[in-house]
Amino acid sequence: MTTQTHTRPSVGRRSPIGWQRVAAVMRKDWLEVVRNKQLLSSLVAVPVVFAVVFPVAIILLGGSGILTSTIAGLQGFLDHFPAGVVPADYTTEQVVVYAVIVYFFAPFFLLIPVMTASITASSSLVGEKERRTIEGLLYTPLSNRELVLAKVLGSVIPAVVLTWASFVIYTVLVGVLGAPMMGGIFFPTWTWAVLIVLLVPLVSFLATSMIVAVSGRSTTMQGAQGTSMFVVFPVLALVIGQATGVMLFNVVVALVVAVVLAVLDVLAFVLVVAKFQREQIVTKL
Amino acid sequence: MTHPTVCADRLTKRFGDREAVSALSFSVSRGRAFGLLGPNGSGKTTTIRLLNGLLTPDDGSVALFGEPVTARNADALRQRIGVQTDTNLYETLSARENLRIWGALYGIDRSALAGRVDEVLETFGLSVRADSLAGEFSKGMRQKLAIGRAILHEPELLFLDEPTAGLDPEAAAELISYLKQMIQVSNTTVVISTHQLAGLELLCDDIGIIKQGHLLAAGPVEELLQRQWPGNRYSVSVDGGQGEARRIAASLATVEDAAEGEFTFGADDDSTVSEVVAALVGAGVGVRAVIPLHPTIEDFYFTTLDKEVAA
Repeated sequence: MTTQTHTRPSVGRRSPIGWQRVAAVMRKDWLEVVRNKQLLSSLVAVPVVFAVVFPVAIILLGGSGILTSTIAGLQGFLDHFPAGVVPADYTTEQVVVYAVIVYFFAPFFLLIPVMTASITASSSLVGEKERRTIEGLLYTPLSNRELVLAKVLGSVIPAVVLTWASFVIYTVLVGVLGAPMMGGIFFPTWTWAVLIVLLVPLVSFLATSMIVAVSGRSTTMQGAQGTSMFVVFPVLALVIGQATGVMLFNVVVALVVAVVLAVLDVLAFVLVVAKFQREQIVTKL
Repeated sequence: MTHPTVCADRLTKRFGDREAVSALSFSVSRGRAFGLLGPNGSGKTTTIRLLNGLLTPDDGSVALFGEPVTARNADALRQRIGVQTDTNLYETLSARENLRIWGALYGIDRSALAGRVDEVLETFGLSVRADSLAGEFSKGMRQKLAIGRAILHEPELLFLDEPTAGLDPEAAAELISYLKQMIQVSNTTVVISTHQLAGLELLCDDIGIIKQGHLLAAGPVEELLQRQWPGNRYSVSVDGGQGEARRIAASLATVEDAAEGEFTFGADDDSTVSEVVAALVGAGVGVRAVIPLHPTIEDFYFTTLDKEVAA
């Protein structure tokens, strides 16, 4: 071993948020996810079911009794489905497909990012504790804000990308398989635009922030993942609301939910950063 | 006025009823190597965490580079610090990826990072395994990579927690030599926490001995050794029992330890040694060897701990 004489590498000036540091942690987390086949397969399974299996089954089986009896809550949803939101000239079979593809499945696309983000976020921060790598990070110049932001974005971005990719696949499948049966392109709608563009990132951010918030105390990934249930429950309430006809998921509902989520996201992030205690993490390793 | 690089002042940390670190005070000047020595569970790791601002002291304070460490400036100060602890590497990432991420965290320019990573890999003999996953490395290779990660950004202050653990004797000696060279070339300040004491005098200028959170002794190595063992010490091997030989030597010098066939004595000058040997030979005691003893950090460590137990 020899020490080479040269000047210290130039070190950038410190800004309120060091995006290079944030990006480094995110990149590291993503590399770890990509190389963990078990984690990767569990991430892909949920979107495949929601974006491929379900729409294909709905369109191919159409309004047959098999479908409505197989999917729990679907018959109730159809029974309570208000008149006037489906084009008037649709046949009964077309109404079933339209109602399910456009309305019934909408909240499920909020479950994809929540579940994805909860898997990656818990693996990221609690996983670092389990693997005893977190202390090394805490010794670096990463600020609490940068570390929390990196961990949140590191989970939110893949969750959003995966959901958007699922949406594209869902849209293509619905278009290719459904258009001949429905007499033309009927999907996506404005409600879906709001859902995908606004709600998906916002709900991912909230779920991830909550997991990061409890990660300081959690010692297992499963424990941290359980926290995301607090976000899953309101999403399930939307599903049930649709199924019982209490509240149909439309543009107005989606925008109201977006505003509420945006406020919750900001509050959650500020709280998580404020409550993030290095001491608590280090002493509970 | 030049501030010490590290200054701990009455540093105290409690976990519940247990006082992990108790009123610890010491300082380390720039370009010096400080050995924080103590048995397992003595508070070394807690001290390193306190010095880096990972833990908040219950009492006392820490100043680094002349600045009191607070929650507000700790992140910026850590920019100037490198730390190697027993924390794990990212096992599903290669050695190169582990280093590149660390370099980015310390803000090393992208243009300089690749070259610096190669340099560190080369320094620690890891170039041929640069693209192997850290999880496939032996314990010694992981230890080298962890140290490489700590020195990557060429910190002004380097904390090493048991850096020679897992290294074979040759690699440990190489590391000590590398660190010594780094201090000379870059004027880096090093705080090394260890209970592996052999050969430490080659590196450490100052030491502190900690036990159960209390600092038992601290200061420059030479000064501590000189204070503990003023004058010179010699080990004498004799034929037969040491009883008679010891009695003769004790009449001329201060006899310290004695065992079957040998004893140790202290003497202020060489003439005393000649007198002792002449007296022994004159009394018919066969003198096989007289060896001047150079006290080591290890000697001082055990003597200090023994004194503490006796007290």
